[in-house]
Amino acid sequence: MKKSFLLIALVGLTTLSFAQKKKTTTSATVSFDASTKLDALPKADNKTTVASLNTKTGEVAFEAIVKSFSFANPKMQEHFNSAGWMDSDKFPSATFKGKITNLADVKFNADGTYSATVAGDLTLHGVTKPVTTTATIVVSGKTVTTTSTFSIKVADYGVNGAAIGAGKVSTDPTITVSAEFK
Amino acid sequence: MAIDMTSTTKKRNPWIKRILLSGLVLLIAGAVAVWFVFNEKFTDTSERKASFTVHAIDLIHEFQKSDSLANKKYAEQIITVNGIVSALEPADTTINVKMVDTATDAYIIFAFQQQHLAEAKQLKEGDSVSIKGSCSGGTYSQILETEFISFKRCAINK
Repeated sequence: MKKSFLLIALVGLTTLSFAQKKKTTTSATVSFDASTKLDALPKADNKTTVASLNTKTGEVAFEAIVKSFSFANPKMQEHFNSAGWMDSDKFPSATFKGKITNLADVKFNADGTYSATVAGDLTLHGVTKPVTTTATIVVSGKTVTTTSTFSIKVADYGVNGAAIGAGKVSTDPTITVSAEFK
Repeated sequence: MAIDMTSTTKKRNPWIKRILLSGLVLLIAGAVAVWFVFNEKFTDTSERKASFTVHAIDLIHEFQKSDSLANKKYAEQIITVNGIVSALEPADTTINVKMVDTATDAYIIFAFQQQHLAEAKQLKEGDSVSIKGSCSGGTYSQILETEFISFKRCAINK
């Protein structure tokens, strides 16, 4: 009986310990730049992305509402959300779930700047594809700031708007993701 | 003979000129229209009329009840939301304002238009505020296990 109680207490403490390692933010930023020589407008950012980082397991996740991407130009934003492009009524969210694959190289308990490799699945426009990228992680006290820039091929996600063929929207936009976890 | 040919050419010229001129005018008008559409910027949200005025907690409850119905009603609409500031969060170089339903942790988050950032930075937790912005819709967060509603291009409603 005493042993069972101790075991339950140990499991409980371990669970609590893991839970405390999960940091979240509701103000991560995802921006993309799909501009080309013909058109400088296709770029937008989403500053209300939800993100989490588990410093114990290295798990990383992002969730963005597609309609939260804010453009400078109204027509560009309308096209972006339309059925021919991101079809945000049908696919309202974009998500990433992954893991830091070189977790041993990142010391979350020591201030410094670290380079991490993150591998996971990006779901966009209802299509899920594996993505591997590098991220810069800055640890300063209890604050962890992560930044990553990578490219995707929009055709891989079933996005084939006419403007891509016309060279007005990049076939492989640059995506920058940044988050500050406290 | 040469005089006859010149005379025939002179007769055709006015029509060709008219067609060419009409085409040119249409082309210029089209180019101006395209230029206008793709160089248009979003207007200042503070100058836009809100389609709805709601209290933050009521809006959260409406999304919790059915986010598909609430999204159809509110997404991409200009909405004025009245509520209490729960948190101010840095977002890259800007700042977001949050209103949280403490009973469920569901929340509304407001990203501000560049020209209204300074007003947002003046806010403090606990302030009663009215914010007008473009509703991006809401969804259930798998990460946070709660509903959240996002706004963009916001301004303090004065």
